[in-house]
Amino acid sequence: MRRSSLETSTSERLAAIVTAAEEAAAKVIDDAEAEGRRYLSDAQAEADRIVAERLSAPAGLTDSLIAQAEAIRRQSERLLDSLAQARAEFEPDLAPAPAASRGSHLTAVAPVEEQAEAEEKAEPNPPGDRQNHAGARLLATQMAVSGSSREEIDSRLRNGFEIDDTDAILDAILGPEDD
Amino acid sequence: MNLAEVQALEERYLMHTYKRGPVDFVRGEGALLWDADGKEYLDFLAGISVCSIGHCHPAVVAAVTDQTARLMHVSNLFYTEPMARLAQRLSESSLGGRAFFANSGTEANECAIKVARKHAHGRGVTAPEIVSFEGEFHGRTYGALSATPGLAKSEVLGPMLPGFRSVPRNDAAALRGAVGENTAAVLIEPIQGEAGVYLTSDEALLAAREACDETGALLIFDEIQTGMGRTGSLWAYQQTPVRPDVLTAAKALGGGVPIGACITAPVAADVLQPGDHGSTFAGGPVATAAALAVLGVIDDPVLLRRVRELGAELREGLEALDGVRETRGRGLMIGVGLEQGIDAAAVGADLLARGLVVNVPVSGTLRLLPPLVVDSAQIEKAVGLIGESLSEALGLADS
Repeated sequence: MRRSSLETSTSERLAAIVTAAEEAAAKVIDDAEAEGRRYLSDAQAEADRIVAERLSAPAGLTDSLIAQAEAIRRQSERLLDSLAQARAEFEPDLAPAPAASRGSHLTAVAPVEEQAEAEEKAEPNPPGDRQNHAGARLLATQMAVSGSSREEIDSRLRNGFEIDDTDAILDAILGPEDD
Repeated sequence: MNLAEVQALEERYLMHTYKRGPVDFVRGEGALLWDADGKEYLDFLAGISVCSIGHCHPAVVAAVTDQTARLMHVSNLFYTEPMARLAQRLSESSLGGRAFFANSGTEANECAIKVARKHAHGRGVTAPEIVSFEGEFHGRTYGALSATPGLAKSEVLGPMLPGFRSVPRNDAAALRGAVGENTAAVLIEPIQGEAGVYLTSDEALLAAREACDETGALLIFDEIQTGMGRTGSLWAYQQTPVRPDVLTAAKALGGGVPIGACITAPVAADVLQPGDHGSTFAGGPVATAAALAVLGVIDDPVLLRRVRELGAELREGLEALDGVRETRGRGLMIGVGLEQGIDAAAVGADLLARGLVVNVPVSGTLRLLPPLVVDSAQIEKAVGLIGESLSEALGLADS
């Protein structure tokens, strides 16, 4: 009787923790997407402004301005693509049905036994590593959204997370370097 | 009135709560200040990171002048457009929830503490606690003071508010151990300013985020000093691997006009309801119009990139000087650790006499917070003056 009560309590607590983690992950994606959309909107406004400047600027200066505008637009589009990829990476662990609302990221928590079985089958992945990887991705995304360059993000990832090969993260967020 | 006369009035009529430098400033423009005798100073403190877009920036002057001529105050019993527009801009540039306006940084933190406690009560926590790292500074009103480990120990100002605890700076394991079912929030400065400019480590931030997610506590970032472009991004959290649930801002927000803000993510946006909190002056049209003007200048990728570049330039110059042990910080928020034996307070006073305004928050450290609109020539000049002062200090130390 007492053991059953303890199991129930543990099950509820685990369920609560899993739900909290799912909500946190969903929130990060939602927030990053919203921020990405704002960034795109700002970038498009900036591109429009630069194009408008072209009309009044001396012809010699305009080619580089136009190139900058196009680069901003391309980077913004890649950022949104990377956010969509981040969603795709998260969602297999979260919800089966994609939708716009935060609720779509959530899924019913499996009973503890079932979940433990699933975790046993899953490849071992220390929580600290997952946290660090998610942290590195979030850091890179936030820096990109706030205007940091590829080199700045690369340097921060190498120094802060000791990631030697940063290309995968950077390519996912900013697009391939030679693009 | 000359400096001696001003000092005499201050001595007689003001409470003796500050140690002031012997200068009577009368005018400012950009990164420059002038005293009553017409002497020019290069300001690498910016009123403790308040005048981040420089002294008397035309955009702020125009916004304040225009607003004061039309409407200065009506209270929060009514609507005013600048307040609503500023809340929108702050929310959309950060966490996406709601804002509460205050008159200062410490008041912004009082709001954050209330949000955290009420949020915790909503989760059934009856004795909520707020956890911080040692070395943090959150303000001087009693809630914020109680959350400031170094000052909360003061017996002569006690008793402090209950429900606050601290762990050693950057001790991720201790933080995990301190956060439990009674934790309402973890309150963090992403870079500790008053302590002498120390970065909170990525590991500690990740531990805080993880602990908050596990327990339902809120993660609060005190961005009063680090926010508004100081570190080279609009908010310092944007250069960290976490995203807080609540952030507080002040200092540079008004460009010299007092204003603070507590900004939430959606998760904490509806915690406070009518009657829970308020202020007569906060969010007034003059302060919010000034803040909108400041954001218009700072929230610019070109300016923010320049802040990161100039910060690197400044640190490189400083690290080449004799007498400098290390530099710490991000963007244009820089702590300069001096070598053992150098009296930082004496160097600070000497620099003021030489025409460079800096701050000495703790023994052995100079804190540099130049306006974000400073230029390379001014940085070179400041490095030169600091080099001269340190050379003299080293000569004196050797003799």
